[in-house]
Amino acid sequence: MSFLNLDHLQKSFGSTQVVHDFSLSVDKGEFISFLGPSGCGKTTVLRMVAGFEEPSEGRILIDGQDVTRLRPNQRQIGMVFQAYALFPNLNVAENVGFGLKVAGVPRSERASRVAEMLELIGLPDMAARFPWQLSGGQQQRVALARALAPRPRVLLLDEPLSALDAKIRVSLRNQIREIQQQLGITTIFVTHDQEEALSISDRIVVMHRGIAEQTGTPPQIYNQPATEFVAGFVGKLNLFDATVLDRASGLVSLAGSEIRLNRPIPPGRVSLAARPEGLVLAETGIPAEVTGVEFLGSVQRLRARVGERDIVLDRFNTDASLPQTGDRLHLSPELSRWLLVSHEQ
Amino acid sequence: MKRLWSWGAIIAGALYFLLPLIGTLEFSLRMRRGEYSLDAYRSVLADPAFRATFGYSVAMALLTILLGVLIVVPTAYWVRLRLPRLRPVIEFITLLPLVIPAIVVVFGYIRLYNTSSLLPLTGSATGTNLLLLCGYATLALPYMYRAVDTGLSTLDVRSLTEAAQSLGAGWVRIIGNLILPNVMGAVMSGAFLSFAIVIGEFTMAALLNRPAFGPYMQLLGANRAYEPAALAVIAFAATWGCMGLMQLISRLASVRRTAR
Repeated sequence: MSFLNLDHLQKSFGSTQVVHDFSLSVDKGEFISFLGPSGCGKTTVLRMVAGFEEPSEGRILIDGQDVTRLRPNQRQIGMVFQAYALFPNLNVAENVGFGLKVAGVPRSERASRVAEMLELIGLPDMAARFPWQLSGGQQQRVALARALAPRPRVLLLDEPLSALDAKIRVSLRNQIREIQQQLGITTIFVTHDQEEALSISDRIVVMHRGIAEQTGTPPQIYNQPATEFVAGFVGKLNLFDATVLDRASGLVSLAGSEIRLNRPIPPGRVSLAARPEGLVLAETGIPAEVTGVEFLGSVQRLRARVGERDIVLDRFNTDASLPQTGDRLHLSPELSRWLLVSHEQ
Repeated sequence: MKRLWSWGAIIAGALYFLLPLIGTLEFSLRMRRGEYSLDAYRSVLADPAFRATFGYSVAMALLTILLGVLIVVPTAYWVRLRLPRLRPVIEFITLLPLVIPAIVVVFGYIRLYNTSSLLPLTGSATGTNLLLLCGYATLALPYMYRAVDTGLSTLDVRSLTEAAQSLGAGWVRIIGNLILPNVMGAVMSGAFLSFAIVIGEFTMAALLNRPAFGPYMQLLGANRAYEPAALAVIAFAATWGCMGLMQLISRLASVRRTAR
């Protein structure tokens, strides 16, 4: 039995349905990311778990208890917001201790728990500061400590890194993951940033138009995208115009080269696709014309044209000389990482 | 040149506001023929009716502020949180006391709550005090609501509320411990205006026949020469003094918070 169960959740605002039949089981201690573009329903699902939105249909169970009709303050959930939402009239220690005070925890116990939390987030000397005296990153860490202090059953993170600058974003996301693993707390993390989701999640739910398009581990989502949307949203993807020669054995032809996929091609419309870093240059094979070259430090990014399609190819910055715009190259047809992407019906 | 104009405007403004005050002050000191004296002040302060009416009005002003805060803070908060589309409507309603004269309101009260009505509030002093208090709160509503609403606009009300809810807090704690302290500055400026309105209010107090400061000033003004001027100066100083005290208290409270 999983710890958190979202059972056929639906949500409509007026006549607009923003979440369609969303189900998910989360194990205790698991870190799940909801990934998707804005308006995909990921925040709505999170807010239903928190109790700020009531599902139109479906149930939410935490540790076997049906919390669907409980008020937010009865759910024992910790939440961190994009805008920090620290209480401006309370100092750091009072902010972190707020949930404990509400729960009636005695003063001495509260103080030691607050100290423990501040130690955990690496701000032990900031107890007397007020929110306006802290940087954005520090404020968000305090918000995390505040959410964790009352020992919630589930931690919800609503785009907690979006308001921070790039460097702090990376260090804070790693810190969040460390703390989450240390405490073993079941966590849902909402983000529109694929790198964030890929780097810290146990599993990712990719959402699109209120539907969970694919749920899987980060490698599954990246290497075996189930739909065209997932493939296009998570990472870059090159699509090719190929002709199916034999569905059963997975034989296709692309610009005169035969490609053996060594697996059957599913029925319906599919596209042959490859990640930029999955393509390899070769002496012979699929002809391509270089249309642009970008030097990105550790990576060389080539833009090329294959038939009617523009593609992107990444390769490590080794000693090999940089091709020039207009060069004619060949792509190897023998890749282990050709993807087949189903089109939406 | 620009600076000259600015100074000109400041001086003109200062004269406009200060000259009448100075004139009143100067006149109030002339009770004794041929020399300046504090006789008028002595006479006013010795009058037990002054102390009674002024005390009554200060008490009413403080109660008005309390009632105003109790009504306005939760309302403005709730409108911002849950009914943002109703904000223009609520704002319009709170502005009504500015266009409906106090005399209309008080005649309405007298008609609705007279001794032969279902709720005969005017039948007793306590009931009439209550009516007057409601009337004052209504008069102060536009100022209090605007001030608090502006204060709330500087807060992310929704996130703060949801953060508090996720930590287990209920409405009373959210409004009392989180929203009110964060709009205290705005509440104080609303309180300042409410206080000033109530101290000098005449119409409602006179028509409801309550022993307030406004009717006392009018009565004195109709019968004496120098004392009304002294009274005006005293009322002016007392109003500013009370407000200064309120500011000081709230400032001290916040300093203590910061220092702790």
